[in-house]
Amino acid sequence: MIAGLVQILLFQGLGEIVARFFLPLIPGPVIGLVLLLAWLRIRGSVPASVDLVATAFSQNLGLLFIPAAVGVVMFWPHIRSHALAIGAALVVSVVATMAVTALVLRAIAKDGQ
Amino acid sequence: MSPQLPAIHEIWVYLSGSPLLALVLTLSAYQAGLLVYERFDRNPLANPVMIAIAIVASVITAIDMPYAKYFEGAQFVHFLLGTATVALAVPIYKGLAALRGRILPLLAALLAGGATSIASAVGIAKLMGADSAILGGFYAKSVTAPIAMGIAERINVSPTLTAVFAVTTGILGAILVRFVMDAIGMKSWWQRGFAVGVAAHGIGTSRAFSVHPEAGTYASLGMGLHGVLGAVLIPLAVQFAK
Repeated sequence: MIAGLVQILLFQGLGEIVARFFLPLIPGPVIGLVLLLAWLRIRGSVPASVDLVATAFSQNLGLLFIPAAVGVVMFWPHIRSHALAIGAALVVSVVATMAVTALVLRAIAKDGQ
Repeated sequence: MSPQLPAIHEIWVYLSGSPLLALVLTLSAYQAGLLVYERFDRNPLANPVMIAIAIVASVITAIDMPYAKYFEGAQFVHFLLGTATVALAVPIYKGLAALRGRILPLLAALLAGGATSIASAVGIAKLMGADSAILGGFYAKSVTAPIAMGIAERINVSPTLTAVFAVTTGILGAILVRFVMDAIGMKSWWQRGFAVGVAAHGIGTSRAFSVHPEAGTYASLGMGLHGVLGAVLIPLAVQFAK
């Protein structure tokens, strides 16, 4: 568990350094993700300890964005006065995104099933 | 005056000054959300994150705790978002094995879907009179929340609003995916899964896993690719548009 967390934190740190000095437009953790992915490809397998930590994170990802999303209280009056526009935009957009993605995939992919 | 009162007051001052209160509040609200979600047989409408956000927001409003004060304590949870983003490499790595030469159709579908996501949300909200602060929150909303917030910081829009829209999008996608896919007659599980992963990131992905494992694998691949490509392309597109 700790070994896996240390490795992931190392890649996060590496990503932050690369972002800071070379790629300021891309978030550091995303660079860390790509570097870790490259390392896993080279290694050819996922270390059990890293797998354990990654599974724990992906199962509780929701918990981690509560502190930021609670910021909705600061935007509440603003959101409420535009509630209809926001609601319509979010619903139509997610439906259109799913439909377009699936239709393009079906049109291009040769194996239907 | 009873002698207990100042004591309680002192404890309260002590507690609200330490990160403990915000941490306990965040974790127990999430726990409560999970319990409700289980009680309703994992119905997507009873989303645990949505419930937890409602609980925390109501409690800090009721006890008059400023959001900045709450965040000071809860930032330890927030920090782990970056770590969780790096850890997404593991499900993506596992998903890559399932690609089997489908990379080009998947990338084309992802680009079309990602562009649709931004254009439709920004277009509709603009038509209905939303201001630029709100429009900014839509740019990264289909990207998984930890990456979406990173993108929002880079393009100078509110990470908070982006996170709220991203979470809402995930919940809506998880609820609506079945109806949309049935309406367009999409039968293959990997295509259904990829579509919900691209449109509704983590929450859509966990929904896909609960329906069919192949859908889940492709959903996490869709979420991961959208996150990485979105982090590169969305800031570039915003810079280009300015």
